[in-house]
Amino acid sequence: MNPFDKELRESLQRREPPPGFADRVLNRARQLDSRPKHFFSWRWAAATAAAVLVLATGSLGYREYSRRAEGERAKEQVMLALRLTGSELRGVQDRLARAQRRVIEVPE
Amino acid sequence: MTTADFELIVRQHQGMVYSIAYNFFNNVAVAEELAQDVFLQLYESRRSVESRSHVIAWLRRATTHRCIDVLRRRSFHNEVQLDELPETRDDQPETDPLLQEKLRRLVASLPETPRTVLILRYGEDMDVEEISRTLEMPVRTVWSHLQRGIALLKEKASRYLKEESRESIR
Repeated sequence: MNPFDKELRESLQRREPPPGFADRVLNRARQLDSRPKHFFSWRWAAATAAAVLVLATGSLGYREYSRRAEGERAKEQVMLALRLTGSELRGVQDRLARAQRRVIEVPE
Repeated sequence: MTTADFELIVRQHQGMVYSIAYNFFNNVAVAEELAQDVFLQLYESRRSVESRSHVIAWLRRATTHRCIDVLRRRSFHNEVQLDELPETRDDQPETDPLLQEKLRRLVASLPETPRTVLILRYGEDMDVEEISRTLEMPVRTVWSHLQRGIALLKEKASRYLKEESRESIR
């Protein structure tokens, strides 16, 4: 080792911090622990936002599904009504035809 | 890591963290504040600390990074004014505390990276590979900063010695 290296090594050798250093660090660490915890955190905010998004999307989807189901039910009711009306009309037409035939067949 | 473990780490490694910061700034108050902040940073991230060797590497890395951050933020100027340096005496012992103080001040006036490399090499007795891992830079870059730092330091020291001999002639 050359004299310059030796001097440099001795100049930069380890030294102890001022007395009480470790206690000051530990006091500050204790203060950190006793500090009131903040409830806000980006992780919780992101989780809440995701949950709200899922609920909102789900709710909109359900509303759309209910609306369509209701439309289908109404359509079926209309079709049933039309079918009933059609069969009633056919009955009336049959009765009318029979009555006409009776009028033609019976001489006065 | 429990609080008791943390206390043990502080007591065991306070000299290392404080010395790196002190050699970087040659300033007791800044070194103490910085060293405290490094330990508190460790305390806050204690759950991620894995082992004893990991703690030492973590502390060295955190301290050097913080030194560079503080230097940039506060724009510390450690330019050595020659007339600020203490007078030399003729009856110098084998290890000259005044010369060592001058050298520390000259080291603290080097550019940040060569300064960090010199402190880790001569203060912490780390080899170039360890420094390369700590500072996350290639080994060849560490070598070049080391050589540049020594060259700058020698140049500053010789300038200082010339100045001093001129003073003594007057």
